[in-house]
Amino acid sequence: MKPMLKNSLKIPYGTRDFLPLEAACKRSIESSLMNLFTKWGYDEIVTPSIEYLDTLTIGNGQAIEPHMFKFFDRQNRTLALRHEMTTPIARVVASRMRDAVRPLKFSYVSNVFRYEQAQAGRQCEFYQAGVEFMGPSTAEADAEIIALAIQGLKQCGLENFTVCIGQIEFINGLMSEFNFSDETQINIREALEKRNLVKLHEIIEQTQLPERSKKILSSLPLLHGDKEILKKAWDIACNEQSRRALDNLSAIYQLLESYGVAEFVKFDLGVIRDFDYYTGMVFEIYTPEMGFPLCGGGRYDRMLSDFGAACPSTGFALGIERIMLAVEREGASSETLKKDCFVAYTPGKIKTAIESAQRKRNEGLVVELAPYAMTKEEAEAYQKEKKYASLLYVE
Amino acid sequence: MQSSENEYLTIALPKGKLFPLAVDLFREAGISADGLTDSSRKLVITNEAQKVKFIISKTADVPTYVEYGAADIGIIGKDVLVESGQDVYELLDLGFGKCHLMMAVPKDKKRDKLTDYTHTRVATKFPHIAEKFFNEHGMQMEYIKLNGSIELGPIVGLSESIVDIVETGTTLKENNLEEIVHIMDASARLVANRVSFRLKFDRIYSLTEKMKQILTERAEGNK
Repeated sequence: MKPMLKNSLKIPYGTRDFLPLEAACKRSIESSLMNLFTKWGYDEIVTPSIEYLDTLTIGNGQAIEPHMFKFFDRQNRTLALRHEMTTPIARVVASRMRDAVRPLKFSYVSNVFRYEQAQAGRQCEFYQAGVEFMGPSTAEADAEIIALAIQGLKQCGLENFTVCIGQIEFINGLMSEFNFSDETQINIREALEKRNLVKLHEIIEQTQLPERSKKILSSLPLLHGDKEILKKAWDIACNEQSRRALDNLSAIYQLLESYGVAEFVKFDLGVIRDFDYYTGMVFEIYTPEMGFPLCGGGRYDRMLSDFGAACPSTGFALGIERIMLAVEREGASSETLKKDCFVAYTPGKIKTAIESAQRKRNEGLVVELAPYAMTKEEAEAYQKEKKYASLLYVE
Repeated sequence: MQSSENEYLTIALPKGKLFPLAVDLFREAGISADGLTDSSRKLVITNEAQKVKFIISKTADVPTYVEYGAADIGIIGKDVLVESGQDVYELLDLGFGKCHLMMAVPKDKKRDKLTDYTHTRVATKFPHIAEKFFNEHGMQMEYIKLNGSIELGPIVGLSESIVDIVETGTTLKENNLEEIVHIMDASARLVANRVSFRLKFDRIYSLTEKMKQILTERAEGNK
């Protein structure tokens, strides 16, 4: 191979090709999810892959900005590839759909881009399927999207997963009682978000809090378990705000029981998602043997107001490649490239062959027509090679 | 839906100084396995009865195993953890393996203040930590990544300074180096994968609590 050619065969860091069988698996997961979202009343929305950087980083973009793919347009304005779908959808709602009747229910399947250390199931370009439920700020809306995410994974053939639900307001409520300086508050949140219990402990020890409060704070990341943990949390919920958060979780749990999916649910009151972005219920879905979540979501009531059109919202995104990986590991994939019939012909019989092939295709079969006339032996060899279930040889 | 009760808890341990200390701690906490030594040829050592697997790996790889979920938990020095930049949960400061990261220069070539070293060469095994530290001081440096015997750098004229870990300071003294800035303290940490922390919460939580108790008792015993 010429040395120059070798270089042009590379693909950029963090990208991948989906060969036919993988692509088929991806397509089948995506279409079954989209189907499901449609049945639950969510309409598909498509937005551009590129947006202005300022749009994508509105509100809290500082943290994500270094992870974005950026470039310039002809006027030297900074553009970026979308890093998720929620912000673009919020932009649409705040502009072209400002006056549309609420609630709005959207679904999407799209590629998004983030500079990440690439690993199995996590590339720089990856695919997400998700929904946004905009308008109501009720537990009913939150429960609906959790139930839908669970249903989605089940639809993909997964059974072995756990949903961990938390509530940002629970911690916000507790924090407001302690009168921390802004800096301490930021540090504590960061330690909670990263589950750095060592750092959390250090920060807490440096504060002048009474022992009981110190204990409450350091136990936060360990408030994990089934619904019993909510009772335990009641004991430390010291104000209206934190108690409201727990009531909200109980309400969501009851609704999930009605959906028949409560068996998948655990609670985790240490934060599990980004603080700046989420404002209420947050959740992630995990499966064994995979070091990162299959799904993440929650309530983000502030984002639309950052765009000047306040509207409470909740939603989630499922990682398509991660689902593919989990499906493969659970052995739940039944995807094959379906090949029904190979139509071949002797010289001069192409017209009949075309007619037969068309007829069979109309019947719904997967049919390949030979690209040139061939002998029966050649046709049989080709059929075997390409694994066609049957051969129609037109003589 | 959890089936984690039947699953193995996989523990990554680093070869080297921390290894025997980590093994001791696990043994005291009631977890061990036959043939658990870092000279073992076997890289994975299993205790079927306790449903535990130990992975013995190179020090720098422990955070990677844990972040990717190949190991549920691991023991690793804070210095290596910070340098790796891996996203893992830090559950417990184990107190042993104490050392600190610092910058040292040859005694006879000491300059007045830190910023006088701007744009000089620094030899280190911890280029990320070093870069972050110098950036915070508005300094640009030339980083020379070495994998061992960092003290050699200034001696052979490869660099003007070093950033390295120090336990007692003997090596520095023997090589006529002097510590000029303290960068960070480090000690061994118990770390966990973010998903394992949730899916195997009960096991990891009770193990953490047990270790905490052992460490407290040890500290009291030393008093």
